[in-house]
Amino acid sequence: MLALDDVKVSYSNILALRGVSLHVETREIVAVIGPNGAGKSSLLNSIAGAVQIVGGAIRFEDSPIAGKSPEDLVRLGVSLVPEGRRIFAGLSVWENIRIGAVARKDRAAISQDIERVLETFPVLQERLKQPAGKLSGGEQQMLAISRALLARPRLLLIDEPSLGLAPLVVDEVYRAVGELREGGVTVLLVEQSATRALQFADRIYVLNTGAIVMSGSSDELRNAADFEDAYFGYGTSSQ
Amino acid sequence: MTFILQNIIDALSLGSLYALIALGIGLIFGIMRLMNFAHGELMMLGAYALFFTVGQPQAVMALIAIMFVVAIAIIMERVAFRPLRGANPATLLIASFALAYFIQHLVLLIFGARPKSVNFFFELSEFFVVGGLRIPKLQVATIVLTVLLLVGLVLFFRRSSIGMQMRAAAEDFEMARLVGVRANTVIAIAFSLSGALAAVVSLLYVIQTGTLSPGMGISLVLVAFVATVIGGMGSLVGAAVGGMIVGVLTVALQAVLPIELRPYRDAAVFALLIGFLLVRPQGLLKGRAAKERV
Repeated sequence: MLALDDVKVSYSNILALRGVSLHVETREIVAVIGPNGAGKSSLLNSIAGAVQIVGGAIRFEDSPIAGKSPEDLVRLGVSLVPEGRRIFAGLSVWENIRIGAVARKDRAAISQDIERVLETFPVLQERLKQPAGKLSGGEQQMLAISRALLARPRLLLIDEPSLGLAPLVVDEVYRAVGELREGGVTVLLVEQSATRALQFADRIYVLNTGAIVMSGSSDELRNAADFEDAYFGYGTSSQ
Repeated sequence: MTFILQNIIDALSLGSLYALIALGIGLIFGIMRLMNFAHGELMMLGAYALFFTVGQPQAVMALIAIMFVVAIAIIMERVAFRPLRGANPATLLIASFALAYFIQHLVLLIFGARPKSVNFFFELSEFFVVGGLRIPKLQVATIVLTVLLLVGLVLFFRRSSIGMQMRAAAEDFEMARLVGVRANTVIAIAFSLSGALAAVVSLLYVIQTGTLSPGMGISLVLVAFVATVIGGMGSLVGAAVGGMIVGVLTVALQAVLPIELRPYRDAAVFALLIGFLLVRPQGLLKGRAAKERV
């Protein structure tokens, strides 16, 4: 479904991604893990069109998508839940959810989808009219996921879903993400928490200083002797 | 008492006019971080559109002026500002200065520097007499029109899908695009609304003064800039409040200052601006746009 080939991203001539190649198959949940500053957010932002790549290629459903605008990518089926949630604090909770469907015209189906995400995250139901800025961190994360889901993405990119959240809330967020796969959504997420990612994802890529240093199924990586070295960048492991 | 009431009406009327200009500027700033000094030239072009449609029914003149200014605002965005999208606010500011001077001098070149007079809705310069109070119809029209436009804008932003998208874009433009909001559409609509507001101001200005000249926009836009800073850059309510404050202050100073000090009235307004920049640079109502974009 998604294939990155030798993707490079740079900020002010400093390479944040130094030739990343990875692929995600339909209905897979793939996690990219790595320490702070590894380039994880740059990776998702480049796929979502928020950051332009300086080299390599990105293909989504066999079509090149590098250089497309974020709003066009949403219409193609790629949605991002960004780091720090970035909900629209001045808009109401309902408006934040509704704006996720801005690219769609099917009003009846949009209403159904809103009901569905509110069933998934009932805590939002009680707060629909409140300004989204008043929500707790966990509720904001649920709102950010709901907003992305309203676009009916086929590929959902999630940046650090557990960041700054209490463990119980993280469980709930991951439960909801797990349910997405049942609905046919493919998920590529990035995580600093390796434990969470290993429990949850089908496959893992370890990103360090802008390059993939290890990859494999969750089971393979859990048992790999050099996993910690790769994660923390103590040595260079083969893929 | 009559003196005070008369001044209150004057203040509300002038404040309304300034609020409309500040709103037009604030709309664009909220979304693009562009302080558009060429907004003054939109007002000037609106007045020239009236001049060249004299002879038509007055409503037609007004409609043509509004449509013309909206079209110019859209072209302005497409030609001058779209290539600079994402540039830092200082670059955008300088570009808007350049555009303002270009348009102003183009008009100067084509139509000359001499002020022109237009007879437009002359009947609005008549007065209502209530008690001992002489209330110009134009002042009432200005206040009513401003209130209607404010209510209309609030409804547009609160109730319509595109209004919601514009609020989202004003808060976090990049994120708005990431959820599918079309940047070009939102910005074009912001410029259209800003252009429409500029046109309404030129109608009111021409009714009031009966004249127009290539340099008429600059002083208006400078006052509105002061209003935007005082109200809070990026906050539309702040822009309206700031406009009202500057209008009230101007009229109040005009009323209370001794005649020999009245030429310094505008200096007091700019002193207030400096005071705000020193003490409360975010303005009275801090807009979300006050945050730097990353």
